[in-house]
Amino acid sequence: MVLAVICFVTFRWVLVPIRTEGASMLPTYQTDRLNLVNRLAYVGGGPQRRDVVAIQMAGPHVLYVKRVIGLPGERVSVVDGIVNINGAALDEPYVKHRRPWQVDEVTLGTNEYFVIGDNRGMAAGDHDFGRVDASRILGRVVF
Amino acid sequence: MPRRLAVPAAIVIAAAIGIWYFTRVSDDTAEVRRRLDALSAAVNASTTDGRGPAARANEFGSFFTDDVEIDLGTGTSPIRGRATLISMAERLQPRTAAFKLKFEDVSVVVNPEGTQADVHLTAEFIRRDLVSGGESLDAREFTLVVQRSSHGWQIRRVTAVDTLK
Repeated sequence: MVLAVICFVTFRWVLVPIRTEGASMLPTYQTDRLNLVNRLAYVGGGPQRRDVVAIQMAGPHVLYVKRVIGLPGERVSVVDGIVNINGAALDEPYVKHRRPWQVDEVTLGTNEYFVIGDNRGMAAGDHDFGRVDASRILGRVVF
Repeated sequence: MPRRLAVPAAIVIAAAIGIWYFTRVSDDTAEVRRRLDALSAAVNASTTDGRGPAARANEFGSFFTDDVEIDLGTGTSPIRGRATLISMAERLQPRTAAFKLKFEDVSVVVNPEGTQADVHLTAEFIRRDLVSGGESLDAREFTLVVQRSSHGWQIRRVTAVDTLK
């Protein structure tokens, strides 16, 4: 009984299972796989660069899974597929394929992060990415 | 009324008003949710049920007010008016038939007068590949303004929300 309660609490409010769909996080996250979101990951502080986070839309049942590349206050741009943070190229070993995406520089607000998928081999127009308010970040994808 | 009965009577009256208000609001909220469920069911209805595209498009249009405005976001022109919407729905049916629509995380807030509701939801578009049988999923966040009319609750405004800006 106690174990059941612990499991219920853990998988309901702490390590929330999600099923990833789509190609935007390839090759790091394959489509139709189960992953876990740690909802307590950012209790003591915000996301770090390169964290993979779950971002909620209208609620917690449909989420984006994206990688944080820009932190609050930073300037972010993409030039020929290379992400620049405050004018310096970002090392992204998890990106295996790149198309020459171009994204004009944006300056993030005090509560904003810039998130993007790992699959840069797809057309930029088919890929959802951009600024997100910290309040939408549900937690860190840990598995 | 004796004074010792005044306080309990006031509590009973207040509770009755509270229950009436809560029940009414709950009923409206449930009714709006039912309408949204019916809308997704109408969109997902089989196209082999013997009805023509015009009949299905008209049924779809009945969920919206005459002056409905639909703003799907950057890069698309707003759709204004039910007649335009029905015409588009009829033309696009061969393509939309490959999709299933599902609403998730629906929140409904009905105004105190019970005449209008603000809805926030995520719409899932599930596309089945007719060759491979595999499914792909796309999702988009929307806000809706739903209005009570003589035809029941109808959608007056649909606005796409940019989750990522």
